[in-house]
Amino acid sequence: MQVTALHLRDFRNYARADAELDERLTVVAGPNGAGKTNLLEAVYFACTGRSPRTSTERELPRHGVGVARVTLATRGADDVEHLIEAGFTPGEEKSLRVDGAPVDSLLAVAERPLVSVFLPDRLELVKGAPSGRRAHLDSLVAAVWPARAGTRAAYSRALAQRNALLGRVKAGVSSLGSLFTWDAELARHGAQLMADRSSVLTLLAPFFEARGADLGLPGDPSLEYRPRCASSTAEGLRAELGERHEADLERGFTAHGPHRDDVRLIHAGRSLRSYGSQGQQRVGLLALLFAERDLLRAERGRLPLMLLDDVMSELDSLRRELLADLLRSEGQSLVTTTDLDHVPGGRDPGTTVIEVSDGTLSPAAWRAVA
Amino acid sequence: MFAPPVNRLITELARFPGIGQRTAQRLAFHLLRASDEEALALADAIREVKETVGHCEICFNLATDPTCRICQDERRDGDVLCVVEEPSDVIPIERTNEFRGRYHVLGGALSPIDGVDPEDLHIVELLGRVSSNGVREVVVATNATTTGEATALYLADAMRERAPAVTVTRLASGLPVGSDLEYADEITLGKAFRGRREL
Ligand SMILES: Nc1ncnc2c1ncn2[C@@H]1O[C@H](COP(=O)(O)OP(=O)(O)OP(=O)(O)O)[C@@H](O)[C@H]1O
Ligand SMILES: [Mg+2]
Ligand SMILES: [Zn+2]
Repeated sequence: MQVTALHLRDFRNYARADAELDERLTVVAGPNGAGKTNLLEAVYFACTGRSPRTSTERELPRHGVGVARVTLATRGADDVEHLIEAGFTPGEEKSLRVDGAPVDSLLAVAERPLVSVFLPDRLELVKGAPSGRRAHLDSLVAAVWPARAGTRAAYSRALAQRNALLGRVKAGVSSLGSLFTWDAELARHGAQLMADRSSVLTLLAPFFEARGADLGLPGDPSLEYRPRCASSTAEGLRAELGERHEADLERGFTAHGPHRDDVRLIHAGRSLRSYGSQGQQRVGLLALLFAERDLLRAERGRLPLMLLDDVMSELDSLRRELLADLLRSEGQSLVTTTDLDHVPGGRDPGTTVIEVSDGTLSPAAWRAVA
Repeated sequence: MFAPPVNRLITELARFPGIGQRTAQRLAFHLLRASDEEALALADAIREVKETVGHCEICFNLATDPTCRICQDERRDGDVLCVVEEPSDVIPIERTNEFRGRYHVLGGALSPIDGVDPEDLHIVELLGRVSSNGVREVVVATNATTTGEATALYLADAMRERAPAVTVTRLASGLPVGSDLEYADEITLGKAFRGRREL
């Protein structure tokens, strides 16, 4: 699945912009504030119907204009062209279309590429709290096995119900009676969630080890699932929850369960989160994203489009080379940079470059739209 | 924005499930345009339903008499009870034509978030029916949602304790996860009924 062209209308600082993409690497170059990140955001928005950097979609339409719209032209293995369109008007439902026909959600749409995104603040995935890693892991489960996408939400609903009950018992308005029921319901979804996380990590780990080495992360990089619960069956989880009734009632919420799981990124036997340098954390995140790409190819035969924002700036020249090689070897990617010299081969005649300045894309990349 | 009676009508209409402010406005203007006869027929129908339709004292289904038509029907099999959340859930099951037993309507599902505890549902009455009337099987047909599943688990536990001889079954998982019975089609629901499993 390729994105062949993109068309932006009143999206962020773009009034009207069109570009064609390389089937491999496209470099997006321009000074600070030109609109590089906005361009990646637009591609992500058209693929998923969401922004990767904000939940306030009101920010998307260009200042003073009502409607933001992004259209992607894609081409699948069958060589058929498709148009994916996402539009946003404040106060209205998003308008999402595939070949002109409205759809409720783009998530399961086969005509769009899967996307993988690296924004500088995504380093939180390595550096930050476990909740971000859990959410990311669960979204990977959903990408690999779409039918399991509901497990996380089902678990969260059961958790919210159990917490509400704990609060009510504590306040003396409900009796303890149905707490055992909610233990069982939470344990049922919890065991499923843990099984999904564990299977996806088992598949992902060898790819992470290989990609970590490819990108120059020293010391046998590895991934490790750190479940909070000792047992992995529904009955076992139920028993673990049952043992903690008194403490949970005192607190008024559920302190034990897979909503406290974590994943550790390890190199040289230690956690990258606590001991990694900035560059190593960055490479760790890249290795994770490339490992996920390998996994999606192995499991679903689909290579996600990689959107890498400002990824070169903190890498040394060796690792820039390694990354550029990886990007040129397979799959489609968009890489932004303030300085073309940061992308190895960035000035080669064969490299597709989109130059961005102040919300306009360079004439070289510009194509009239029919 | 409008005259107070119009606003009141919009507010009332907007209370309906799935009806937002905009649709409520459209409906209100439809009623304003309609003839007196047409609009008041709706008002009468609402009044009549509230005055004459109540709940069956045995199964809590909708009824115009003290008991509902299904409870009155001698040909229905009293050995098997099907437990549902709402009266509206009875209709799709009847339509499958797979079930010849009787019903028990809980009046909702366990949901601490909404303040619904076991005592707020017709569970005591269900346990009473099950332990006294020679019931052989209870089919728990609550929705395939978190609250519906938890309710099913609760009922299974309660019945194991109060009426251990009774078999408790759950609809087969042919129903899409997270779905309401009310919206299931006959074929799926019929299959779910035939393939029910013991809880
Ligand atoms: N809704 C909007 N309407 C108009 N302009 C906007 C809107 N949202 C953001 N901008 C502007 O877009 C400009 C470009 O932002 P962007 O984040 O894409 O820059 P960039 O090229 O990634 O820069 P950097 O190299 O500093 O990361 C900013 O000046 C910002 O103020
Ligand atoms: Mg930027
Ligand atoms: Zn009845």
